[in-house]
Parts: sequence; structure tokens; C-alpha cells
Amino acid sequence: MGKLGRMPASPDRLSRRGFLMTAVGAGVMFGFPAARAAEQFPAPGLPGAGAFEPTIWCAIAPDGAVSVNIIRAEMGQHIGTALARIIADEMDADWARVKINYVDSDPKWGLMVTGGSWSVWMTWDVFRQAGAAARVALTEAGAQLLGVRPDQCTTRDGAVVAGAKSISFGDIVSRGRPTRSFTPDEMAKLPLKPAAERRLVGNGDLKALDIPAKTDGTAIYGIDAKVEGMVYARPKMPPTRYGAKIRSVDDSAARTVKGYLRHIEIDDPSGTVQGWVVAVATSYTAAIRAADLLKIDWTPGETANVTEQDVLDHGRAQIDRKDGGAYVFNDDGVDAAFAAAASMIEREYTCASVMHYQLEPTNALAFEKDGIFEIHAGNQWQTLILPTLAKALGRPESKIVLRSYLLGGGFGRRLNGDYMVPAALASKALGGKPVKLILTRSDDMQFDSFRSPSVQRVRVAFDTARTITAMDYQAAAGWPTQVMAAAFMSKGVDGKPYDQFAIAGGDHWYDVGAFRVRALSNDLANRTFRPGWLRSVSPGWTSWGVESVWDEIAHLHGRDAVQFRLDHLTGKGRNAGEAPDSVGGARRQAAVVRRVAEKAGWGQPLPKDTGLGIATTFGQERGMPTWIACCALVHVDRATGIVRCRKLTIVVDAGTIVDPDGARAQTEGAALWGLSMALFEGSEIVNGLPRDRNLDTYTPLRIADVPEMDIEFVASTEKPTGLGEPGTTPIAPAIGNAIFNAVGVRMRHLPVRPSDVLKALARHKETEST
Amino acid sequence: MIGRIVAAVAGIGVAGGLGFLAYAWHPAIAPIAPPASTAFSAASIEHGRILAAGGYCAECHTRRDGHEGVPLAGDYLMATPFGAIYSSNITPDPETGIGRWSQAAFIRAMRQGVSRDGSNLFPAFPFDHFTHMTDGDIADVYAFLMTRPPVHSIKRENTVPFPLNVRLLQAGWKLLFLHPGAYRPDPAHDAQWNRGAYLAEGLSHCGACHTPRNAMGAEKAGAAYDGAPVDNWIAPPLNGTNPTPVAWTENEFFQYLRYGVAPLHGSAAGPMSPVIHGGLSELPESDVRAIAVYLASLDQATARQGGDTAHLAAAMRTSTRDLTGPQTDPDARLYAGACAACHANTGATPVPGRPELALNNALWLSEPTNLYQVVLRGINAGEGQAGIAMPSFYHALTDADLARLAAYLRRTRTTLPPWTDLEKKAAAVRATLPAPPVAASH
Amino acid sequence: MTSFRLNGHDISVDVPDDTPLLWVIRDEVGLTGTKFGCGIGMCGACTVHVGGRATRSCITPVSAIQGADITTIEGLDPAGAHPVQEAWKDLQVPQCGYCQSGQIMQAASLLKDYPTPTDEDIDAVMAGSLCRCMTYIRIRDAIRKAASATRGEPSNG
Repeated sequence: MGKLGRMPASPDRLSRRGFLMTAVGAGVMFGFPAARAAEQFPAPGLPGAGAFEPTIWCAIAPDGAVSVNIIRAEMGQHIGTALARIIADEMDADWARVKINYVDSDPKWGLMVTGGSWSVWMTWDVFRQAGAAARVALTEAGAQLLGVRPDQCTTRDGAVVAGAKSISFGDIVSRGRPTRSFTPDEMAKLPLKPAAERRLVGNGDLKALDIPAKTDGTAIYGIDAKVEGMVYARPKMPPTRYGAKIRSVDDSAARTVKGYLRHIEIDDPSGTVQGWVVAVATSYTAAIRAADLLKIDWTPGETANVTEQDVLDHGRAQIDRKDGGAYVFNDDGVDAAFAAAASMIEREYTCASVMHYQLEPTNALAFEKDGIFEIHAGNQWQTLILPTLAKALGRPESKIVLRSYLLGGGFGRRLNGDYMVPAALASKALGGKPVKLILTRSDDMQFDSFRSPSVQRVRVAFDTARTITAMDYQAAAGWPTQVMAAAFMSKGVDGKPYDQFAIAGGDHWYDVGAFRVRALSNDLANRTFRPGWLRSVSPGWTSWGVESVWDEIAHLHGRDAVQFRLDHLTGKGRNAGEAPDSVGGARRQAAVVRRVAEKAGWGQPLPKDTGLGIATTFGQERGMPTWIACCALVHVDRATGIVRCRKLTIVVDAGTIVDPDGARAQTEGAALWGLSMALFEGSEIVNGLPRDRNLDTYTPLRIADVPEMDIEFVASTEKPTGLGEPGTTPIAPAIGNAIFNAVGVRMRHLPVRPSDVLKALARHKETEST
Repeated sequence: MIGRIVAAVAGIGVAGGLGFLAYAWHPAIAPIAPPASTAFSAASIEHGRILAAGGYCAECHTRRDGHEGVPLAGDYLMATPFGAIYSSNITPDPETGIGRWSQAAFIRAMRQGVSRDGSNLFPAFPFDHFTHMTDGDIADVYAFLMTRPPVHSIKRENTVPFPLNVRLLQAGWKLLFLHPGAYRPDPAHDAQWNRGAYLAEGLSHCGACHTPRNAMGAEKAGAAYDGAPVDNWIAPPLNGTNPTPVAWTENEFFQYLRYGVAPLHGSAAGPMSPVIHGGLSELPESDVRAIAVYLASLDQATARQGGDTAHLAAAMRTSTRDLTGPQTDPDARLYAGACAACHANTGATPVPGRPELALNNALWLSEPTNLYQVVLRGINAGEGQAGIAMPSFYHALTDADLARLAAYLRRTRTTLPPWTDLEKKAAAVRATLPAPPVAASH
Repeated sequence: MTSFRLNGHDISVDVPDDTPLLWVIRDEVGLTGTKFGCGIGMCGACTVHVGGRATRSCITPVSAIQGADITTIEGLDPAGAHPVQEAWKDLQVPQCGYCQSGQIMQAASLLKDYPTPTDEDIDAVMAGSLCRCMTYIRIRDAIRKAASATRGEPSNG
């Protein structure tokens, strides 16, 4: 595993181009370790020689250090700390001796993906079993060394204890040299700690292991990766995401740039990048300058004139047609219920394109060494991009290794490792020479696989008693999973594959009688750009439709919006939930709704033009629900249309909370993403590409925009679910519902812009006066 | 760089008659053997060094285009509406410089704008100001220049076309616009004021940039210190018409001229920066103080100062406008993201090093020129407040972004009418800039 | 050739005058704690101190800092224990951490200007520092905590 061990030491790290030192001796640069100036790789938390590895997940060194292998990407969730707690708690390790090792791609780790808010949920059982295996093995070996029977021993803080005698894990490893290993069957039968005995899981005093390095500049991200002799590259991208052909390249102006080496027309057998040219230079600034000066003539692809409106209109037309799409639910009796309905409503909700704008622009370092292609980059889904890289490079996956780094923001952008492909191909074109390809921000935004614009249409049928008898929910959007990971798609009740990340959330836990959920892949979106998974994926926008329409129905029927939700979150039928992932079902969702309403003072009088709105979701997916509800307090300025969110009150039930402070941090961040996408962000497709290329026009939430926040987690010992994204999901509809409660206008497009609010207010006034 | 004053136009209309010719004709002054450096006292040379700095000689007598020339060896390009003029070599090189000039010839040049050989000098050389210096000061400047290392350097040929290049005709200009003679103290003012006036009007030739010029390139009578365009910047008014909300008081001028930054106005940038850091910094503090006293009187600071407390308070109230609490105005967000970290002031007065835009000339002038210049170029650590820098937003902000920003600041941080044609003007200023830094984005 | 001081050491670099300071620090000198975010001075990830003032290095040409005194995150405190860094760790501010060098440099500079910052001071001065993980609540709290610590007061967060 040792990255440092595999890398040659730099022989002349101080002789790099153009750098002259005065007053400082060689070897120590500015008082910082010399290694910082040469190759940079994340320091692995490796155990060293003589370590005991009861499973592939952890190793105990003779000095007592416990290193935990983390196959998830660190992108701000402190995931290593959360997962290490699980294993360390179960084995009773001394937390002060626990280290994290972010592993490289290797088939033995299985599916390497960090997304979907899955990490804790996916790892919970495995790591508890692995921790138990370590504990059992160390207890057996320790007992022998202490001269007692294993059943006379307990474990505590990194030691095996028998009465007055004890021996540390390190001493057990160095003196007993245990070798015990476990079969999966044996692992599954190991006794696990009861919740009450956990000391690390749920402990709010522990600090995240990755944080100190993030406060002093020593944390190493993909963009910081260096290797001796590397050159820099910056792409020049064609006018369309797909299908552009290079007619000619003139680099005569680029050749005047000092440090410019050459340009490369990227020929990509995987089709990931089409029509790209990269400028290669001895420094990144030279590569930037040279790329600017490359004159390239392209034949653009067929989507050169596509607009945001075209994509939305295409989605509407798809919904209008009866054929196409896949059915997530399609209960008997939906059409009959509508035919027999005493009344019904139909509403359409739309959401604009949203950019990732992860702060570290996408980049990768690629080179060939000893027949192996190494790609160094921050990435969320190594398992997905490996086959693509193999196809692009024309070599087997076994000859490609991905090295993991910290991610300067993931948010789903780096689930799609497309940015590694041009780096690898540029290196290949240079005979395997190390190439560091970095996208400038404007490059990065042009190349973003952003959140697709979406159209949702919801129809609800009522009987004469205004009881809901059926719901027909349809959504059309670009399908990231279809485009990038088709094998990963779910199957509908009709057997057709669909992108669960482009419909989840529509399949809610409310009782609505006969329920139909139809998912449509917006092929115009898929052809125009590469739709991306973006923090909270579809629940980040399906909630806008589901929770808005739920409010609309309540108001239409003169019902209290909280009570109306509670009345339909009864946990009956398909909404009963099942062990171990959704124990309690919709009743747990009802509980967070009840609690958030109570906390936020639901029903109390508010000042003029101020409103409290509620929304609730089940987080990311029915199979792993994180129950969440939010009350948003907003004020609407009738003169300007400006909506100001004053407070967000949020209650979450994510089962067992492994890392309480991390859980809060994730929920804070996710909720503010929700707020940002509701009021501050949003882009649009212009001429086949996203309009915004940087912060001069793209305006995510900043510090002054942050409202007061009150976040509460429901105490629970159920299996932990996810927290990275659920906080995003209820915010926008809570705000939309609050706007309605404040000034009586219903917003149905995200983001909510002041101009749209003004228009709605004007229409509202007209309606009222007529 | 100091303002490259427009070249003069010959007074063709008045040319005529022998009387004029008599006036216009000057004899050559005989060349001398270059004097030995021992011919000058150390005190005289040192005083001359200080005066040469305070008159910014090297600013206009050192080549900057193409490559950096040797200081004082001339060949500095002055692009004038009448053609290119290249400055003379004023090192004591006998063939290409002033090595064979006598002191009398040097004094005549400074006072009357006449070269040693008798030809008239273009008034791009501000002899209309230097004429007000004393013989003693001019002699000290001469001592300093004549003891510099001689540099053999031939300047490029001027491209001023006929008939404007007829040197004789410059005499007509002088007849109209030159008021020769050393400064005569004004008995109505004290010695400090008179010292300031002597320096500002003579040696440091403030009016050369800050007074608008007429069609013949001469400073307009009756418009002294009204402010003027110079080198694609605006030299702001130095008199009562200065538009900033807080008066330029003696202290503000002193801080500005001594350290490059006036706490309630902002820092020196562009052509004004070398005036301070390359020029006035060599003068004794008492001289800079005297200039400040004189300028504050021109500015009628005493009379205007009464409103300062209220104006300062009003400006400070606007400083954090749109920065507290959520904002959805895209222009306000542009300002918040790009500018506020360095320019927002929340206290009763601006924090040093945190220039307050609501008080700054750049927002209150009739055109956004200086605002655009500073935003596009940035300010080097050697300019303005020494040791700190403002980045260059050349690649960061498009012309449309600049226009939004300018309109927003004018709207929210001043009480003046909006600027017009902002995007076009942004493009025009951008076009005048030298090569910008590498674009990290677009 | 441009000469300046970096974290207390005199250095000279031979790069084109128009090279942004950011890339000089990262690629020529090799200190990578200062980050490339937006490239237009609007995210704050590249913030360093020039003459003690927070400055966006991504759009500052190296020629503009000739002779100046530059401090990066690596030089803010020899032990990484500046009161702002300590508060950042105590309150567990960073998530992905990519913007945090810039946030910390900006916050340290804020506290020099406003030792007892109000919410308005924080809003105004930190406006240019984007955190895409949205750690803003903790940034605000940590700035207050660092301010208390600097004043030697016990802090209640």
C-alpha cells in the first residue's frame, strides 16, 4: 500500500526551475519539512512491519497503533474518523492510537464509491464485525500471554484485562504474534457490543482526525500532488460537450509563450472527452497562457444551440406522452381513481440547472511507471472510472492504479471521474511522462456535470370527502446514472431500468391511495451535457414538487399543513418500513414533523409578511431513509420581491449517530446547500453550455446569507443511515411554503428569484382585486 | 509615471513681424569643457539631488518603453496628440547629453525653455513651472546632474509634424503662456505657505497635471487645479471643486504626499505613485508639510471642513451597505465577493490599509476612469501605501462586470448622478493597459 | 527576477513578471497550503498576507509584491497554533478544508482590524471567502472564540 515507499525520493528537490534561495540552507525550506517541497502524497497511516491484520480492514502494530483502512473519499465528512470509531469502539481500541489509511484502488476493497450518503450505513455492519474479530483474536492471544482463559478477560482502551492483570494490544502483537483470521461466516456470528456499552460511537467529545492538517496548510489534495519531472496541461474545450470535431489547430501564438511545450489533440476511445486539445507547458501559468492563445477551429456537435428552455420543454413533452419512461410504482386503480374523482389538482414544478462549484477545480496527475498507469486525484467513485480509463488507455484495469487524495469538495462532482481521462491520455501521448492537468475555474464550470433542469408534474385525485384517492407523480430530467453507470440503475415495477437518483423522493411515504411514480430520462439533456449527481441528487429537487404540492392541497382544503402531513404519515402498507434499514417507516417521519413543528412554534402568530413553512422528506432513498423535517421562517419584501430566510429549524432521525459533531456539521452544510439552491444559485443552459463560468455571475450562498439554525437529532439506536445529503432536501419546499404563508403567493420554480416573486405578487393582487 | 503633458502647439497665429522674430531668437551659449566633479560642493550636489527628485527629473528623462533605460539618459516617449516626443539625455555626456552646457545655459533652459544652442524647447518640458525656481536651486540641480555618470545615448527622433516641429514657433507659445521669473512670496501668507507655493508651483509643477490645458497645450488661465485627464487617468481637482465628501485638509495632503495614503481619501496609484515614492519622499518633511499647507489653502479646506464630520459619518454608514444579512442583488453580491473583504469598514473611521471607497476620489469624479484603472491594474507594493498590494482584476471582471460594479458603487456610495456608457468606458480603459497578469480564469 | 520575503525568509524567483503570486508560492516555492479556487479573487481560497493585509494571490502578479513581506498559512504561526487556528480546531470548523487556509488568513487579518468583531464586521470582511461546504456557522463562532482568546478572556464559544 505504501505510496511513499513506491515513489522515488527527489534527488534535487531544490533545483526546480526558476527557484532561487537566498539565506536558507538546502534540505530545509522555510523551516518546513523538505518533503513538502518535493513529491507530495498524503501521509498514509500505515502500520509498518510486524502488524497483525485480523481482517483487511484494520491492522494493529507492535507499538499499539491501530490503522484503519478507509476505502471512502475524504471530502469534508470526516468519514475516516466516523468509520474508524465504529471499528475501534467494537474492538475497544485506544482512540489516541487510531490512525486512518486511505487506500488505493484494488479489487479486494470491493465497491469503492463515496456518495449517496451511504458510507456509514454501508460500513456499519462490516466494521462492527471487523472490530469484533480483532477483539476476539486479541483477547485469545492476550489471555494466553496472561496465562488465563479468554472468558476471564475483558477489553478496554487498547488492552486485554483479566482481574488485576492486563496487557496492551501492542504487547500482544509484539509478544504473541497472533495470526488468527476469520471467514465471513465466522465474522457474521461474532458477538457485537450492545449500544449502551459503546464509548466511541456517539461520543461528542472526540475530534475529527483530519481537521488539524486542514488548519495549517499541510493537508494534501489532488491539486497538490507532485512528481519529479511532471509537466502541466490545461485543456481548451470545444463549443459542445459532445460531438465536436477539430478542424484545425494553430499554435503559432502559443509558441511565443515561454515554457510552452506542445499541444495535444486528445483522441479518446472512451468518448469521455470529445474534441479536446490540451496545451502542455513547463508551468501551469504557461499552460494557461498557451491554451488561451491556441486557435482552434471546431465543427460543433448537434447541441450547439440548445437552451435551458428547450430542455424543460422537452421534459414537458415527454410527460405529455403516454409511452416512455419507467414506473417506480404503478398501483392498480390510479386511472380509475382519477376517472372517478370528485375533484383533482394538477401542478407543475420546475428546477433550474445547478452547478457543483466544488472549490478545488477538477484536476489529475497521470503517468506511467513500470508498466502501470498511475492516476493521482481526488475521486468519489474509483470503481466507476477504472473501466473507462482502461478503455481510454487501451490497457487492462489491472495495469491502472488510482491514488486517493483529499477532495477539495465532492458534492457528487467527483463521482464522475471524467477529468482523469484527458490527463491520462495526455500522459500517454507523451510516452507516459507525468502530466498534471488542471482545469481553470471557467474550464471546470464549462465541463461540469451539473444538476439537470427538471420538470415534475403531480396530479392528485380526491373523492367527495376530499380524501386523496390517487396520486400520479412524474418527473423528467437528465439521468446521470444512465449516462455514466447504466448497470447501476434500478428496475421499475415494469422491469425497465431507471435512474433512481433522478426520481428518488417522488416515491414518498405518504398514504395517497393508488400511487404511480413515473421516471423519464430527458434525452435532450443527456445529449447536451453530462447530467451529474449533485449533493442530495433527485431528493434535492423532487422534494420541491412533492412537498409544495402537499402544502397546496392542505391550503386548498383548508387543512393545517402539519396536521395534514401527520394524517398521511401513518406507516401503513408499503410505508410500514422494514428491518434493519427503515424500522418504523413513515411513523418515524411523522415523529420528526411533530417535533420540528413544536420546536419552531408552528401556529403562533407572526409579523406581517413573515411566514413559517414546513417540509419533510425521507432523505435519499426508501431503502435507507433518513427522516427529516424542516421549518423555515422567511420574510418577503413586497417592494423588492426579496425573500430573506431568518431561521431554519431542523429535526433529523438518522438512527444511531456515530459522530455527533460530524453529523451536525453535515446537516448544517447540507441545509445551507438547500438554502443556496433555493434562493441564491441556479444557472441555465445557453447555446448548449452552462451560462455561468465563475463567481462574478454564479452566486452561491456566502456567510452573510446564513440564517439562524436550530438542528436536533432524534436519539435512536437503530441502524445508522446517511447524513451527507438529507439536510439539503426539505429546505427549498419549506421556504416555498413559508413564502406562501407570508404573502400568499405560490412559487413553482427553483431558484426563487426576487423578480419572480414580484411577478407572482402582481398576479396575486390582480386575482384578489377581480 | 508623471503626467505626460501634451506638447505645445506653436503660436502660429501670432507669428509674424520682426518684433516677434527678435523675441523668438536666442543666441547659442558657447559650449564648455565638461566641468570636473570637484567644481561643485558636496552640499550643492546633495541639495540638487533632493531637488531633482522633487522635480521628478528622472521620471521623464528615463526610457520606459521597450526596455528600461539608464536614469536621466532620456529617450522617454511622450505620446502627445501632436506626435511622439522623446526626452533629452540630461546626463553630462559631452556629445549626447548636457556635458558641454554651462550653468548659465542650464538656467536659461529651466527659466525660458531655450536649449543651449538657442533653439526653443517644447513645453512638454515644464519650464513654465521651473521658471519659478530660484537661481540657487537651479544651480544645485545643475551641480547634481553634472556629477552623474555620463551616458552616451542618442534619443529617437520626435515625430511632431511640420509646422509644429518648427522650434522657432514655440516662441509664440511662450509669449502667450510663459510668465518667467522666480517665485515672489505672497506677503499675505506666512513663510510655510510661501514655501509650499514655491515648491508646488515651481519645482514640483503640480499644475502640469492637475490643471486642464487649452487647445495649444498650455495650462488654462482661470482654471488652475480644476483637474485634468492625464495618461488615461484623471488628475483630480486640487481646488474647491474637488468632489470628495471630506475635505483634503493639510493633514490629509501631508499623509498622502508623505506616505502615499490619505486616511480619509485613499492611496496614490497610477501616475501619482512615483510623484510620491520616487519624488517627494526625498524632500525634507518640512517641505512636504509646506506643500500640504499650500494645497489645503487652494482646496479651501478650512471653509469646507465644517461638513466633514457629517460627511464622514454618512460615508461610513454606506460602507457596509448590503453586506450584512442576506443579499440577492447580483451587483451587491459582486461587490461583496470581489471587494468587500478589503474595503468594507464598519467603524466610525476607516481602518488604515482598508481604503474606504465611499470617501475615495475615484467614485466621486465625473468619470469612472480612475476606478477602472485601479481595479484593472491593481496597486503594487511599491505604490500607494508601501508594502501592501491590491490585486489586478483585469481577467477577473469582464467589462460588463466592471460596469455593474461602477454603477453599483456610484449608486450606493455617492450622492452623485450615475455615470454613463460604463461598459464602453471600461473597454476603453482596458485597451490602454499594458500586458496584464496571466489569466487564471475568464 | 522578483525578490520578496516569504514567511520570514528572503527569496528571489525568476519567473515572468505577470505570473500570479499564487502559482509562485505553490509551484516555484512548493508551499501548497494556499489554494486555487476561482482564479478571479472572489472565493478567497488563495488568500495570503501581503504586508500584513489579506490579499488574493491568484490575481496579484508577482511583480506587484517586489520587496513586500508575504505570509502564507504555513507561516502564520510556527506551530500552527495561531489563536484562529486553535479556535478552528476547537470548534471543528473545516469540512473538506480546501477553503480553510484562506478563511484562516482572512480571519486573522480581520481580527487585526477589528479585535472585537461584531456579526456585521464578520459578514463584511468574510464576504469574499466562499466555503462550498458551508461551514459558515462555525467560521463565525470560531472568529468570536479566537477574538476572546486573543483578548485573554475565557470563551463560551
